[in-house]
Amino acid sequence: MKPFDVVIVGGGGAGLYAAMEAMKTNPSLNIAVLSKVYPNRSHTSAAQGGANAALANKAKDDTVEMHIFDTIKGGDYLADQDAVEVLCSEAPKIIRELENMGTPWSRMPDNTIAQRPFGGATLPRCCYCSDKTGHTILQTLYEQCLKKGVIFFNEYFALNLSVNGSRSRGLIAMNMKSGKVEAFPARTVIFATGGYAKMYWNRSSNAAGNTGDGQAIAFRSGIPLKDMEFVQFHPTGLRKSGLLITEGARGEGGYLVNKDGERFMARYAKEKMELGPRDLVSRSIETEILEGRGFDSPAGTYIHLDLTHLGADLIKSRLPQIREMSMQFEGVDPIEEPIPIRPTAHYSMGGIDTDNFGRTVMEGVYAAGECGCVSVHGANRLGGNSLLDILVFGRIAGHTAAEEARKFEPGTIPEVELKEQLDAVRGGMHSSGNYERYGALREDLGKTLARNVGIYRESSLLQKGIEEISELKERFKKVRVFDTSDVFNTNLMQVLELKNMLDLAETVAAGAYAREESRGSHTRVDFPVRDDANWHKHTLATLINGKVVLGEKPVTMGRYELQERTY
Amino acid sequence: MTVPIDQHLEEGKKDVTFRVFRFNPQVDSKSYFDDYTIPVERGITVLRSLNYIKEHIDASVSFRAFCQAGICGSCGMRINGLSQLACTTQVWDVLAKSREQGIIKVEPLRNLPLVKDLIVDMDPLVDKMKHYSNWIDSTMPEASMGKKEFLISEEEFLRYDKATDCILCASCVSECSILRANKEYVSPAVLLKSFRMNVDSRDSIHDQRLAELVKDHGVWDCTHCYRCQESCVKSIPIMDAIHGIREDAIETRGVKDTSGAKHAEAFMSDIEKKGKLVEATLPIRTNGVVWTLQNLLPMAVKMIMKRRTPPPPPLVKSAKGIKIFREMFREMTEHVKQDHKSHKK
Repeated sequence: MKPFDVVIVGGGGAGLYAAMEAMKTNPSLNIAVLSKVYPNRSHTSAAQGGANAALANKAKDDTVEMHIFDTIKGGDYLADQDAVEVLCSEAPKIIRELENMGTPWSRMPDNTIAQRPFGGATLPRCCYCSDKTGHTILQTLYEQCLKKGVIFFNEYFALNLSVNGSRSRGLIAMNMKSGKVEAFPARTVIFATGGYAKMYWNRSSNAAGNTGDGQAIAFRSGIPLKDMEFVQFHPTGLRKSGLLITEGARGEGGYLVNKDGERFMARYAKEKMELGPRDLVSRSIETEILEGRGFDSPAGTYIHLDLTHLGADLIKSRLPQIREMSMQFEGVDPIEEPIPIRPTAHYSMGGIDTDNFGRTVMEGVYAAGECGCVSVHGANRLGGNSLLDILVFGRIAGHTAAEEARKFEPGTIPEVELKEQLDAVRGGMHSSGNYERYGALREDLGKTLARNVGIYRESSLLQKGIEEISELKERFKKVRVFDTSDVFNTNLMQVLELKNMLDLAETVAAGAYAREESRGSHTRVDFPVRDDANWHKHTLATLINGKVVLGEKPVTMGRYELQERTY
Repeated sequence: MTVPIDQHLEEGKKDVTFRVFRFNPQVDSKSYFDDYTIPVERGITVLRSLNYIKEHIDASVSFRAFCQAGICGSCGMRINGLSQLACTTQVWDVLAKSREQGIIKVEPLRNLPLVKDLIVDMDPLVDKMKHYSNWIDSTMPEASMGKKEFLISEEEFLRYDKATDCILCASCVSECSILRANKEYVSPAVLLKSFRMNVDSRDSIHDQRLAELVKDHGVWDCTHCYRCQESCVKSIPIMDAIHGIREDAIETRGVKDTSGAKHAEAFMSDIEKKGKLVEATLPIRTNGVVWTLQNLLPMAVKMIMKRRTPPPPPLVKSAKGIKIFREMFREMTEHVKQDHKSHKK
């Protein structure tokens, strides 16, 4: 195959923006997007709430500066301040750009893009399209990519980077439709495969495929991962399924209520109440549950998200999707009664360590979106900043890769590497000695993570978590792929995804165990306060000789000094 | 295939047999069904049941699934004959309407090439989206983008708000009666998207897109069976979009433009005048004298031989109660006009 200039792995918001921008930067380049699903299925579509930008359409006195400060404070001062500046100052431009390309934003009475309040933000600056914002952004980007003639390899599962010394020669991937392992020689590769929070399985709001494939491939190729211990629990997951009820529900005025009928957020965030940052609200709910003020049910203890006072009209016009979901998955109509919710693993702040241009330490390899870690979210991401992140840094990574592609010689991927990958993926199909069931391993992984590496963490629990993950990795060596066919082998894909989750789970648990402080989403019961003297730094996790080795990286500071974080 | 079921089922559980369509092109010469019987409690979706079957009984059962929350559109399939999302379809709801007690039949979507089991190839749909330019070609040049917003009224937003709910799950494609006969037909989802683009004031290629839509296999081929709309998992009024394109075509391009438009116009005028069709001259009014002579003469001769010709126009009497009908017709036309005005505002 003719070598590509840019191969983008992942067809969500970051991947598609990268593709579009790369083509814009240099239309003569040979660019391809590989995705394990059709791009329009990507998890970007599930983002309901919106994207932050200081357009000042709603609050006339909003500024980029305030957005920057909210983001840094929200991230508990672990975000790199130069990166946050890029994120927030590019925001108005990129939201308008999407608008100019056809994204159907909801509108203000003066016909400008509508904005609403969101957690952790000083002023209402979250731009939205009712509660389908991510879906409409993804549609717009996919449409524009089709218009531009981007080449798509849909339903290809990425397996490995081909590495020569310090640089990549391209990607090896499996064509799901044929089961063939194929080489994608490329000058540059951009990973944009989304997050890894699905490792918490039933206690996760994520799509089944948010298994951190890009992060795991990069990690196995020796590229460091950053801040993996920071996993955000979204306060309002549906009790039974973990599926998400958007923060927009609280943005529109929803209450959190315990079984005593009390709006308990008054005790945790007197001023912001329900619109405190996600880590704080999740911890508050978890505390209510732990202290016996939740509602009991066979499907677990929960608290109420009450929207009934908002009225049928508002719920129908602004939150139609969450009404549908509440009815479908809980049998509750939010117009009539409160929604049963509890916190659910939702977002991975950590990811592939990149600079502000999406570059990794390996020549020719880039990362963007939830897959990467620039870092703009620090220890806790604000609602409305993740769509923004994928757009801004997807575009930057696409631009950088397109600019730099010609710097690198085109690679060729040795046949022997394809053979190795094929043998590896088919290894689990042999009946002798392979007996472990994928589903049981995955279930156990989710359970141990939720129990030992969850919202509240503690030394002995984390130690137990690390041991259990390591046992699971041992058991995984005996995993059996029961479906032996070549054509669209989803059983094989699930097993390969589980391998990725196991590798990443180890880095999450190791980082959490090492970090002896509480910061943002990472809460250590045994180290309950933020320890800036020892821990104001990023964690790096690198695979060296098959072992996770932890290192560190300083946080880039700027205008804003460390402060106590209160809401 | 069945698995042993606990005889003392917990209250609130039912034994359900999933009759799953199977086909693996690598080994099967033709498709077949496998039965899997599992206990299912209230509140469980079809997707969760399929996941259970895949994990506990037969790992080779193949289907797509991703978000599991009804927003990504991956798990479209036919459940007891009706195309819908497996992740939002409750097993007990399906059972209540099931023709065969305790059995749920699960099949792949129709009208798209089969890949394996419940998985179909979505590429033909993507190709059609490309063919009909299902994107906004912005009136704003690329170089000036990002500087200022278009000002869009709430009214305009509402024109395409519902249409942008479409998640391309292809349920409508699967249910479409035209696609069953003609795979080249544009398809409901693509008409919906085309409509959404055409009513957006930011778009610059309305006329070009419309010109493509009125060609063969386009918007005039729809027979108004409404199955697309009935099966839409997001309850989008797809037929409104199809009618919208047709009305737009007649308004923008004139009624003389295509045979489809002329056909519709002929229907309207007959119904208004007589309350029924004047079939004898319908082909001439739709396709012209030359086309009718060239294409329908042999059939007309055969019809005459068999004494099956429709009566000539002077012999077509007005339908009974035509006066009341005309009054209703006028009222309806007035209503539609008002409706359009409020749409256009």
